[in-house]
Amino acid sequence: MSAEVLVFDILGAVAVLAAAGVVLARKPVHSALSLVVSFVNVAAIYVILRAEFLAAAQIIVYTGAILVLVLFVIMLVHPEDLPEFHGGRPIQRVLALILGLVLLGEVLAAILTRTVVGQPGPWSEQAVQAVGGNVQALGQVLYSGYVLPIQATALLLLVATIGALVLARPDSPRVRRVARDTATISLGHPRGADGANGVELPALPPVAGDRIKPETGERELVMAKSGDDFLDQPVWGERRRS
Amino acid sequence: MSELTANHFLVLSAALFIIGMMGVLTRRNVLVIFMCVELMFNAVNVSFIGFAWEQNSLVGQTFALFIIAVAAAEAVVGLGIIMALSRRLDTVDIDKVRELRE
Amino acid sequence: MANWLFLIPLAPLAAAVINFLFGRWYIRDRAHWLAILGVAAAFVLSVAAFAQVAGDGEAISQHLYTWIPAGDFQIPVALTVDQLTAVMLVVVTGVGLLVHIYSVGYMHGDPGFYRFFSYLPLFVFSMLMLVLANNYLLLFVFWEAVGLCSFLLIGFWYRRRSAAQAAKKAFVVNRVGDFGFGLGVMLIFVNLGTLEYTGVFEGVASLPQGTVTLIALLLFTGAIGKSAQIPLFVWLPDAMEGPTPVSALIHAATMVTAGIFMVARSWAIFAASPDAMLVVAIIGAATAFVAATIGLTQYDIKKVIAYSTVSQLGYMAFALGVGAWAAAIFHLMTHAFFKGLLFLGAGSVIHGMHDEQDMRHMGGLKKYMPVTYWTFLIGAAANAGIVPFAGFWSKDEIIVGAWVGGRPIIAIVGLIAALFTSLYMFRVVFLTFHGEERFDRHHVKPHESPAVMTIPLLILSAGAVLAGFVGFPPENGAFHHFLEPVFSGHGAEAHHVSTATTLTFGAISTVIALAGLGLAYAAYIRGSLNPATIAARLGPLYQLAYRRWYFDEIYETVIVHPLYRLSVWLWRVVDVQIIDGTVNGVAALVSFTAQRWRRVQTGLVANYALAIALGTVIIVGVYLIVGSNLFQ
Repeated sequence: MSAEVLVFDILGAVAVLAAAGVVLARKPVHSALSLVVSFVNVAAIYVILRAEFLAAAQIIVYTGAILVLVLFVIMLVHPEDLPEFHGGRPIQRVLALILGLVLLGEVLAAILTRTVVGQPGPWSEQAVQAVGGNVQALGQVLYSGYVLPIQATALLLLVATIGALVLARPDSPRVRRVARDTATISLGHPRGADGANGVELPALPPVAGDRIKPETGERELVMAKSGDDFLDQPVWGERRRS
Repeated sequence: MSELTANHFLVLSAALFIIGMMGVLTRRNVLVIFMCVELMFNAVNVSFIGFAWEQNSLVGQTFALFIIAVAAAEAVVGLGIIMALSRRLDTVDIDKVRELRE
Repeated sequence: MANWLFLIPLAPLAAAVINFLFGRWYIRDRAHWLAILGVAAAFVLSVAAFAQVAGDGEAISQHLYTWIPAGDFQIPVALTVDQLTAVMLVVVTGVGLLVHIYSVGYMHGDPGFYRFFSYLPLFVFSMLMLVLANNYLLLFVFWEAVGLCSFLLIGFWYRRRSAAQAAKKAFVVNRVGDFGFGLGVMLIFVNLGTLEYTGVFEGVASLPQGTVTLIALLLFTGAIGKSAQIPLFVWLPDAMEGPTPVSALIHAATMVTAGIFMVARSWAIFAASPDAMLVVAIIGAATAFVAATIGLTQYDIKKVIAYSTVSQLGYMAFALGVGAWAAAIFHLMTHAFFKGLLFLGAGSVIHGMHDEQDMRHMGGLKKYMPVTYWTFLIGAAANAGIVPFAGFWSKDEIIVGAWVGGRPIIAIVGLIAALFTSLYMFRVVFLTFHGEERFDRHHVKPHESPAVMTIPLLILSAGAVLAGFVGFPPENGAFHHFLEPVFSGHGAEAHHVSTATTLTFGAISTVIALAGLGLAYAAYIRGSLNPATIAARLGPLYQLAYRRWYFDEIYETVIVHPLYRLSVWLWRVVDVQIIDGTVNGVAALVSFTAQRWRRVQTGLVANYALAIALGTVIIVGVYLIVGSNLFQ
């Protein structure tokens, strides 16, 4: 057993355990931190695989950018909206487990029975060293054969940025009104838009001042005195339950 | 198993991928699901780079690079959606989000 | 070549189209100007064409364009005017023009005025194209087109149930004949590879006898329908539901003679098949006789004239059947004049009597409408075959033709029918214009029709008097010489009729016609014969004629009723239960399944993800089984 294999085994084991941590952790923050561990280990494995540039990219993009974003979102999302989800969907769980095991078996079978076809590429270790290293070699490949995809990727990132801007923008009053009409029950108006559709309205929860403590859901609701109140407030209320 | 072969990386890749898949299938928090998806991306990257290593080719690495770029875009949009979801529907529990039905 | 020939049909077509498109809102009660102008233009051009053909003795033609160029199957739209067509052109446009003028008065104030003056030129156009066509397919197309115009005009007062029914009946009955005609045209093409007249007539000689007979009989089936021969004549009397000018133009003068024209046009085919000729002759004679007997017993003035038309068409048909082609066309022409006259006269009577058609409620109209009376009398005399009116010459020639053509029995049947003809014609005259006034004098004030109606009557009566003389002397007149180029060649032999035969039959015909006149006089003026007693004595025979030989009843029982039952069965069982059931069943099944499958769309992302995972597992599994060496 060479040292290389030993290092790989350690790194791989940590990566897998960290990944399991992502799935099993109760709190999203713990999941995110486990993910960082996993990603760093995988980046190390990239180095073993002579993909130094990708290892750097992995750390910068994933752990540096994406995971920071995830942590930001975790903080931005209302803490009451981040319950400790667990339990529920027992059938799905069992099914998912079975499917996962079957897929694992299948993929392992595929890996163990595979045969290598085709000729090895030109970028042996010596060839990569000859051009000055992994970054230079990758740059040559990318900017000679993949110019157009690179441009397309740039465009994709631009579009994604704009999309994120649109998604994250605060709602305009018009959008909010639509959201109110479609997604909430106006507790202050039992015969509001939803009632007109013949939907059975839930009984009004006990009112204390203009605050309402709903029977279900996690957040206090504000009693609206008129339809216009909704325009001045965030979209309160909760989803219609059918 | 004295030498490091591509199969090592493939097995690792498979393990990561399936763990990520299990997470997607079982978790209810959209944020965690998102992270599991990233995990699956990563697993695929390991495969690509493993093959590239085995074949003395840089094409696999190129692919991995593109996947990272696309993952970044996906992360931006996905997180934006999660933000909007939390603001509109006051939840990030996908079991409570049934808008797709209608 | 004559590049202006296309103008003949184009003028009425243009009038029809303009009236149809703009008549309702812009032209309205001025529609007749355009129609009359169009038909008058067609008339003038037809006379010009006639003059040119008469002058040169050569057929003139114009090739418009090739309609169907499909390999060997070339169907041109080409117009040809030979002597036969020239006669038809002048008759169609001439009578058509008079009927148009007459209609201005007759249709005055009708809400469908513009519509009438759109359909009528359309009919003239179709009829002109029918006679101008130089191939069977074009002939067939416009054969159908005149049928359509006939349908539209019979059902002109479509709010009247009987009119709508009559239009439907005419259309359906004609379909039966047209089906045979269509088959005949196809058979011609299959055997000869061409549909142009000249090519067909040249090729007929090379065909086996049986094929020629079959083609001829199929073509004659079309003529049976269109020209109202037994057994398909039932539609024509009902067609009198249309406005009277329509009856005059379409159902007396022109369209119904299309069948006669078509057979005469195809005479080379018929001449090549003695069996087919015999069938034509027998059907024609039977029609002439049966229709004449029915005409004797009817009381509706238009019905009598309608049966008279059927009878006269029978004459034409058996003239064709015995090879007296020129005589048939001669009778067609004279008949167009006097039958058009009779119908317009009857229309004048009906108009003056405020839409009364039953002769039992007329009588003594002579003094109220003198112009109508005298012109009608001339028409009746011409129809009855009184010397020297037009009908005498042509009818006599047909009977002589039958006699010398080796069909003496048919000639005798023709003579008997002639007696009936004379009898029913003068019965109409006497019942309508003579005798006591049987109408309600307090409410009905008979009056003469306006000049716009009487002038066409006068012109037509001049035709009814004089038209016969173009065929004088018999068998050797100007008319016969004119038509000779058409009916020669293809192994035709002219009849050789001795002067003695002509004179003998002329005398017999005259005696018979006068006998009919005398009988009618005795029965309806002098009263020395009581029609009711005779009818009673004849008993079943009278009933047979009165009930129109039970043709309608037989069709009702044998064809219409079973078809009706079948249709109801098809509707109730096949359509509603099987077809609709299948369709609805499929829809219900899809709906049912969809309702079940809808449950799959839970809206839960987790379930979708599960499905994706399942799919992945399956696809990877399939790849493993198929693509790897795991199981090899």
